[in-house]
Amino acid sequence: MILDVIAKAPDGKEVLRSSKIYMPAPGKMGCGKEMGRGPYEKAGLIRDTALPPHRTLVETFEIPFPHEKIEQGKEIYGKPLFKEMDIDVELWYVPFGETEGPAARWNQLWKKLTKRVTID
Amino acid sequence: MLACLGLPFMMLCQDANADPVKKKAKTIDELAARYDVSSCKECHEEIYEQWEASAHSKSLFGIGARTAATIGTTITKGLMTWPYSGVQKPEDVKLKHLMLCAKCHLPQLEDATDDVAQEIVKAVFGLWDKEIKKESVKKLRKVNINCLICHQREAITHKWAQGFPQEDAIYGTQEGAHEDQKYPIMKKSPILHESVFCGQCHGLGPNFEFDQPSQCATAYGSYLFAYVAEGGHETCQACHMRKLNKGHVIPAYRDADMAEAALRLEVDAFGYYWRKNKAEGVTPLAVVRVELTNKTGHEIPDG
Repeated sequence: MILDVIAKAPDGKEVLRSSKIYMPAPGKMGCGKEMGRGPYEKAGLIRDTALPPHRTLVETFEIPFPHEKIEQGKEIYGKPLFKEMDIDVELWYVPFGETEGPAARWNQLWKKLTKRVTID
Repeated sequence: MLACLGLPFMMLCQDANADPVKKKAKTIDELAARYDVSSCKECHEEIYEQWEASAHSKSLFGIGARTAATIGTTITKGLMTWPYSGVQKPEDVKLKHLMLCAKCHLPQLEDATDDVAQEIVKAVFGLWDKEIKKESVKKLRKVNINCLICHQREAITHKWAQGFPQEDAIYGTQEGAHEDQKYPIMKKSPILHESVFCGQCHGLGPNFEFDQPSQCATAYGSYLFAYVAEGGHETCQACHMRKLNKGHVIPAYRDADMAEAALRLEVDAFGYYWRKNKAEGVTPLAVVRVELTNKTGHEIPDG
């Protein structure tokens, strides 16, 4: 699973994209620290960041508004170039781990929510 | 005298419960015929159509040939590269090698000979050969996880305690007669409605019974050790079959309703001016808080 958080300017242009990956990392034949890929070599787990059942995971993302820096006396102020951003939050099922190329055709958008953030 | 009378009686009792020795199928067609379920459709049409739409009905070929392709890489990237596998070329692949995949994707392959294993291997590589692609697809689609695999062959897990599946019986939720020439008896399966039934294939992790353990699914392991451990008590069948009326489609992540039901996503966001430090000053910042709750009985994804 990939969680994408995408901030967009009022003109729709992407300002920033931040992603988190949730997946088990099986060991390659259970030996050492290299991850295995196919069922013929996967054995056990080295690490597991998949979404656990019956639990809530909280992620926080901090996205600076694009801004120009203005000196006011001894202080530096960030003056936002725009005061509104739409934040798209998308959760993708990505069975092959590829977001581009032919394998990406298997990807599925499971959830999408958009929030508008304003700053005065 | 008593011993003489007792022996045939014991033999009769054992007949129904003993591990039946079957003649091995020598071709895919023979194996397909042995597990032919076309007669099931006559009375169970809706269920049959649900099954036809399921991933189980494509268990060897896969959805979009994914399973067949993975069997191919198991041979080329696995078996052919390992010095002690006995496989140097696809022609060396035997039944025991394919069982790494077939344990779950085609458990009835155990009832076949190495000839069938070779036929499958040829069909798998035939998918990339224009001349035999169509024929290969057709072959690989002939055998799968069907009615007889769940309701007959794999319907009992604890065979020493509960007996081996009776050859003329279909296992379900009731006892009685069953209108079918080959399977005239209906018996109640002790496990068909239990999670352990699905756990036979949907994985604890490495399949240690093989000389070279394979690992595909780990969903059942996660169910046992993460979901049940957290107080979960639903069965696999409750969510994948009943709750959303999915029946014998038994869908998973590709189904939009299942995806919708699987997770709760909540997002909160606000903006403020953050005074970081003297050098960078005050920064206009958006803070996005995302809450993800996995409502299923296993981790997402598993593997």
